[in-house]
Amino acid sequence: MEPAVLARELTKSYGDRVAVDAIDFEVPAGICFGFLGPNGAGKTTTMKMIYGLARVGRGELRVLGMDARRERRAIKSRIGVVSQETNLDGDLTVRENLTQQASYFGIDARAVAPRVDELLEFSLLHDRGSDRIQALSGGMKRRLMVARSMVNEPELVVLDEPTTGLDPQARLAVWRSLERLKRRGVTLLLTTHYMEEASRLCDRLLIMDEGRIVTEGAPPSLIHQHAGREALELDLGEGCDATALLATIAERADGHELHDGALTLFADDAEELLRSIDHDRFPTDSAVVRRATLEDVFLRLTGRTLREGE
Amino acid sequence: MSYEPGYAGLGERAGLRDILPSPRLAAAVWSRNAQVFSKLWKGALLPTFLDPFFYLLALGFGLGTYIAHGINGVPYKEFVAPGLIASAAMWSSAFETTYNVYFRMNELRLYDNLLSTPVEPQDLVAGDIAWSSTRATIYGIVVLIVVAAVGLVSSPWAILIPPFVLLGGLCFSVIGYTFTSLIPKIDLYSYFFTIGITPMFLFSGIFFPFNQLPGWVEVVAWFTPLYHLVEITRGLATGPDAASILIHTAWLTVVTALLFTIPVRALRAKLVP
Repeated sequence: MEPAVLARELTKSYGDRVAVDAIDFEVPAGICFGFLGPNGAGKTTTMKMIYGLARVGRGELRVLGMDARRERRAIKSRIGVVSQETNLDGDLTVRENLTQQASYFGIDARAVAPRVDELLEFSLLHDRGSDRIQALSGGMKRRLMVARSMVNEPELVVLDEPTTGLDPQARLAVWRSLERLKRRGVTLLLTTHYMEEASRLCDRLLIMDEGRIVTEGAPPSLIHQHAGREALELDLGEGCDATALLATIAERADGHELHDGALTLFADDAEELLRSIDHDRFPTDSAVVRRATLEDVFLRLTGRTLREGE
Repeated sequence: MSYEPGYAGLGERAGLRDILPSPRLAAAVWSRNAQVFSKLWKGALLPTFLDPFFYLLALGFGLGTYIAHGINGVPYKEFVAPGLIASAAMWSSAFETTYNVYFRMNELRLYDNLLSTPVEPQDLVAGDIAWSSTRATIYGIVVLIVVAAVGLVSSPWAILIPPFVLLGGLCFSVIGYTFTSLIPKIDLYSYFFTIGITPMFLFSGIFFPFNQLPGWVEVVAWFTPLYHLVEITRGLATGPDAASILIHTAWLTVVTALLFTIPVRALRAKLVP
């Protein structure tokens, strides 16, 4: 089956700044594919090239088998977009937002009303049709954004940080609507900052940093590959020599992260690793054994330094 | 910058398909604006109704009293009235394609959504300009009704004024849109109004004719769209001269068509970098 998105040596520069640097990736049809990365990694720029809000710089980009440079209109008619910014039309009601969106896709006027009803139902906004946008909560607005991206029955929906800024309940409701969308066979392509979101929704992940792809794979295999099975978090006590400690146990661990006296060690059996530490020589204030997560992978691969806003 | 087929930013070669709008999508853009206006029209129309009324009162009935013989044999208030139809269209287009478009584009970010649907910049510009001139025509008709009601229209040809106001509206709108698509920040609109729109309002032959003034004044006025629309509306309201109307119509049509590509390209360069 043809991939939903195919990028080869895809590059995009703004002036001297290289936002996306010769990346290659392939989004198989029918799955949920996630882009992770710190601010400024190039995720949004990549999404914008896919949905036509940024021109393709160098390289090749094919969306649903079509050339993103030459066949913009055709591509845009078959995809849905949920942008990072909520850009619903505040001068129109909820229902009018959807009806108006349908008109941009040339959907037959008679087909629009039932379609809009269905979308309101889908996004649990059926009793909100005549409300103004300002009357909706943040979560409802995002659900309406998702509903709006579906008016043309797209084969691919691109979502740029669909749940940023939402409370846990609202986030869960958006996730559920994305899961329903996925069950319908729609390919989802999303960017996120939330590891939980990536683990829950994505079949396949790609981590970007500074315009390049750092790694790619299914979430469990990424964790296994880059963090191991378990993690041991040590809060080093006063007078504990981290370098000496690492020298004694480094070979038994699959890797480590040291940050301000907090040492995280990765291993298949963290319990055993903990037992092997000479606690008299290396005092610790606390020790926690937990499963390795995507967050460990992310921080190990992209570092802990704070990034400037994208 | 290399030439990329299918895309035309500023300074790049534009294919015809990047310039010619899709009528269906332009109509969809138009209908959004019309729908919003239909909710707000009561509040929006009242000032338009009052504005020319005050000008008529102050200048036509006030100042006009001291202009005993009228202008070229036409009573002063009857001279001024048709010009106010044209200027209402200008003011309406100027506000719609500056502040309103700017807010939709930069504050509400509605165009980001539009451009991620099959709508392309040329459809967006065409739909917005079509709407802006529709609104200008509505305003022009309101003023026409007002001046006709107070007996300031002497020719039945005045019934033909609305389509010409639509054409003038297109021309004003494409100029305002060009400005909006090129400016980096909203503060610059004060220049547009102070240096462009207000002088045009005062010096396009609405309030005094050019035949007693030095020749260059009329030459300058000839380059402004309002002058041409005023000549048309006054002609139709007082008794038309077909040849003159034809020339002014041609001027407005050519300028509108020539300018259209500028906002299309600028908007593309700005919103699809």
